[in-house]
Amino acid sequence: MKRVRWIVVGFVVMAFVAGCGTKPQQEIDATTAAMNAVISEGLGKYAPEDEKKLKDAMAAVNAELQVQEGKTFKNFDKTKQLLADLTKMAADMKAALPAKKEKAKQEAMAAMEAAKAALADAKTMLAKAPKGKGAAADIEALRGDVKGAEEMLPEVQGLIEKEDFNAAMTKANAIKDKATAVGDQVKKALEKVQGMKAPAKK
Amino acid sequence: MTRTVLALAIFFLTLCGCAKEEPVPPEVKLAEAQEFNLWRAGAPLYLQEPFARYRDALDKAKNSLIRVNSRFRWFRDYQPVQAEFVRVLKQGDELFKLLEIEKQNRAMRVGEQMADLRERLQHLDQCSRMTNENRASRIRLTKAEVILNEVRTLYEREQYRASEEKLKDVETHLSHAEKLIIPVLSRYKDKGQVRKWKKWTEETIEESAGREIHSVVVVKADRKLFLYKNGKLFKTYPVGLGRSGWSDKQRARDNATPEGRYRIIGKNPRTPYHRALLINYPNEEDWEEFHRAKKRGLLPETARIGGSIEIHGGGNKGMTYGCISLANDHMEELYTIVEVGTPIAIVGALDRQNSLSSALTGIQNGRTKKKTP
Repeated sequence: MKRVRWIVVGFVVMAFVAGCGTKPQQEIDATTAAMNAVISEGLGKYAPEDEKKLKDAMAAVNAELQVQEGKTFKNFDKTKQLLADLTKMAADMKAALPAKKEKAKQEAMAAMEAAKAALADAKTMLAKAPKGKGAAADIEALRGDVKGAEEMLPEVQGLIEKEDFNAAMTKANAIKDKATAVGDQVKKALEKVQGMKAPAKK
Repeated sequence: MTRTVLALAIFFLTLCGCAKEEPVPPEVKLAEAQEFNLWRAGAPLYLQEPFARYRDALDKAKNSLIRVNSRFRWFRDYQPVQAEFVRVLKQGDELFKLLEIEKQNRAMRVGEQMADLRERLQHLDQCSRMTNENRASRIRLTKAEVILNEVRTLYEREQYRASEEKLKDVETHLSHAEKLIIPVLSRYKDKGQVRKWKKWTEETIEESAGREIHSVVVVKADRKLFLYKNGKLFKTYPVGLGRSGWSDKQRARDNATPEGRYRIIGKNPRTPYHRALLINYPNEEDWEEFHRAKKRGLLPETARIGGSIEIHGGGNKGMTYGCISLANDHMEELYTIVEVGTPIAIVGALDRQNSLSSALTGIQNGRTKKKTP
C-alpha cells in the first residue's frame, strides 16, 4: 500500500513537471519563420527601428528560454506568451510593410518626374537660344550643364529598381535643384543675347 | 496518507516558488532602452569599437541575469547582477558623450569639405566658361554639383558617414574637370610659350614702325585687338574668339583661333558679318606644325588643316568657329583703316601674369588646400 502511494505521488510529480517543462519548439519555429518573412521583405530598409525592436524582442525570448532551460522544474508559459506577442508583432509589421514601401516608391517616382520636368523646361528655353556661330559662351556652357544633369537621371531609375527609394529621392531632388538653377541662368543669358543675330552657319 | 499529502504539499510549494515571476532589477530595462537609443543615435556607425565593447558588457550582464534567474528563487542574489548593469549604464552614458563629440567633429569636417569643394567647383565653373571648355568639363562640373546637393541633404539629416562617401565622388568629378581645363590654361603660364608670343608681337610692332604702316596684334587673354600705326598704339577693340578660342588652331573644325604671324590677304565688304578681313591662315609654320602633329599621331590621318579665318563684325560677345569678331561699328573702323598686306600677330598673352594663368593658379591652390589637413 505504501509503495502504491509513493508510485502515485511519483506519477503526479512527473505529470506536473512534464506539463510545464516542454520546450515550445513549434512556437519557436513559427515565430522565427514569421520574423524571417518580414525581415526578408525589407523591413530593415523601410522601418529600421521596427527591425531593431523585433530583433531585441527575439533576444528577450531567447534569454527567457535560457532561464527556463537552466532550471530543474521548467515552466515555458512566459516563453510561449513572449513568442505569441513576437509573432503578432512580426505579422503586424509585415502587414504594414507594403504600404510603407509603396509610399516610399511613389515619393521617389514623383521626385524623378519633377526632375525630368525641370530638365525639360531648361531644354525648352535653351532651344530658343541662338546656336552655332555667334552663340554666347554662357548658353553653350548651360547646354553642357543640362546634358550633365540628364546623364544622371538613369542613376535615379537604377536606385528605384533596386528599391533604394530614399537615395533615389535625394538624387532626384538634387538633379531638380540643378535643372531649376540652369533654367534660371538660361533666362538671364537669353536676356543678355537678345538682339544678337543668329547668322547662317559658316 | 498524511505523509503522501505532506510530500505533495511540499512539492507544490516548491514549484510555486520556482514559478513565481522573477523580479528584475530596474537597471535591466534602463540598459535595454539605453542600448536602443545609442543604436538609434548612430553609435554602431560612428563609434564601432566602443559600441562593440559596450554591447559585450551588456551581453555579459544579461548572461549573468539568466544564470541567476535559472536558480531556485531562494538561492538568487541580484545584487552582483544589478551592479553589473549599473556599470553598463555608466559605460553607456560615457558613450553618449563620446558620440556627441564624434558627431560634432564629423559635422565640422563634412561642413568644411563641402565648403572647400563648392569653392573649387565655383572656380572651375568660371574657368570652364573663360576657356569655353563647354562640354566635357561642364558635364563633370554639373555631376559634381548635383552630388554636392545630395550631400547637403544628407548633412542636414546628420548622415555624416554617407556624406563623406559622396564627397569622394565630388572630388573625382572635379579632378576630371580640372584635367580637361588645365591644358588650355597652362599654355598661358608657360615661360617659353609667352616668350614666343611676345617675340611675334614685338616683330609685328617693329614692322609697323619700320615701314610706317598699320599692324594688328590680337591678344587672346585680354580679348583685345590692338591696332598700331607707325609702331604706336592707335586703337583698341574688344573681340570675340572661337568656341575653343584659347587653344591654338590645329585642324579644321576644332573651333580654335590660330596663333602666329599673318597678313591680311583680302577684304570682303559683303559678308553676313558686316565686313570681313581674310588672313593667310594656314601659313608655312602652320603647315609644318600640322604635318608634325600628324606624324606624332596627335591628329587623325583624315584631319584637314582648315582655313577661312577672318577678322569680321557681328559682335564681340559670341563665339565663332575660330574667327576674331568685333562689334560692327569697330569692324567698320578697322576695315576702313587697314589694307591688304597689313601684318597681324595673334598671340595668347604678353605676360605670364594674365587672366588664364591666374585661373590656373586658382585651380592649383584649390588642389593644395585639399591636400593640406
